[in-house]
Amino acid sequence: MTILVAEDDMIMLKTIELRLKKDGHTVILSHDGREAMKELETSSPDLIITDIMMPFSSGLEIIGAVKKRAGKKIPVIVLSAMGQENVVLEAFQLGADDYITKPFSPNELSMRVKRYIPFVAEV
Amino acid sequence: MQGLLFAFFLRIDSHRLMSMIYLCLILLVLLSISIVCFTMYKKRIESNKKLWQQSIAQIIGQAIFFTDEEDDGVNITYKIEMLLQRSGFRNYVINELIEAKKNLSGLSTLNLKKLYEILELDKDSCKKLNSIKWHIKAKGIQELAIMEQVKHVKKIFKLTNNPNELVRNEAQCALVSFYGFSGLRFLNVIMYPISQWQQIQLLNKLNDVIPNNFDAVKKWLQSANESVIIFALKLASFYNCNDVYNEVINCLQNPCLRVKLNVLQYLKKMPQEDTADQLIGNYSFENKRYKLAIIDTLKEIGSEKQISFLLKQLHHKDDDIKAAAAKCLSHLHPSGTAFLQTHLFADEDPWKAIFLQIKNERAA
Repeated sequence: MTILVAEDDMIMLKTIELRLKKDGHTVILSHDGREAMKELETSSPDLIITDIMMPFSSGLEIIGAVKKRAGKKIPVIVLSAMGQENVVLEAFQLGADDYITKPFSPNELSMRVKRYIPFVAEV
Repeated sequence: MQGLLFAFFLRIDSHRLMSMIYLCLILLVLLSISIVCFTMYKKRIESNKKLWQQSIAQIIGQAIFFTDEEDDGVNITYKIEMLLQRSGFRNYVINELIEAKKNLSGLSTLNLKKLYEILELDKDSCKKLNSIKWHIKAKGIQELAIMEQVKHVKKIFKLTNNPNELVRNEAQCALVSFYGFSGLRFLNVIMYPISQWQQIQLLNKLNDVIPNNFDAVKKWLQSANESVIIFALKLASFYNCNDVYNEVINCLQNPCLRVKLNVLQYLKKMPQEDTADQLIGNYSFENKRYKLAIIDTLKEIGSEKQISFLLKQLHHKDDDIKAAAAKCLSHLHPSGTAFLQTHLFADEDPWKAIFLQIKNERAA
């Protein structure tokens, strides 16, 4: 699966990248929302994992853009900090498929990503 | 003003004027050079930071996925090894590890702790404990606490009684995060007061901790430090601890009003059959604020047995005490406000106002 990861914290980004690569996925990295938006124009990932609070464009903007796009449906997993319930609700309203609250376990993320493999295969 | 400036320039000769212009030009050039140097320095720091971030992400990324079967050695390149000799870089690694630990959970956090120990970053944190600057000391304690460095507990324990409030707060929180309830043993020795905020912080850390026994609380209730007694009372309330009831009642003899008010808070939560009578026994010697607090406590824990005492208070010379006693009676008397209506002169002041207030409160 090709997964686009948008996260402004470099350590988190590296951690997610290594975990997903260990699972055999192809990972595209974006260090902020704007970079992720550009990536979306040029590439077609099977899944997006995005942080909410990022410079330039927020995770919510990314979800909005992805869900408005015609064609292939791309599932989105949101990474949010504790106590951001309102933001998570807004993300779901925009069409997010799942969310993980920080602090999170990379193994949990890996399991959640695996749930989308059959969906991607179907598409 | 312009005339003054004109006169000033007329008085100085052309030679002097030229040297002043040169001086200004030199200053301008120096200023420009320093701006350029500062910008370059900032840029260098930024690019260094980016390089550092990449190197740190590399080692932390490897460490997060340590498993028991795998070799725990981190592949440290020559470049990273060189960087690790710089204290600035080591500090940066510590900050990033702490940030990562806050964002991750499960096995990964244990691995981050392992990496912190492999790189001997605890030595850097320990060095900070010896700093003369309080904020560096506090940072060092915080780092050791987040990275669960229990082996340095002796050094941290000494700082629980530090003259600087923020340093001792960090040290006290660190001990509680290491050992839970038994980490509160610093309460045996501290001489400085524990602030309200710190008490909340400590209780928050004890949220999921269930102590084996409350013998230590009994001891703290007899401490010479008033804030320790107050915190012990809060602990007793927090844990709904009945074992310390007698020691709490003894605290009613404490001369400090704040201690006694906290005793009332505990008694509201954990009353016994004779609690109300014991409070009445202490009532006559106390000041107005405490008297009002006692009547307020009786409202929650009292019974019809206390009605005669409260009726006497209706004739107290202070109107606030009259009002409090009337409110309490309306709660305890079986006929409620109706009783007050028959007993009080409801058409006269202050009874008229008191009665109206109670009626409104009960209606709300």
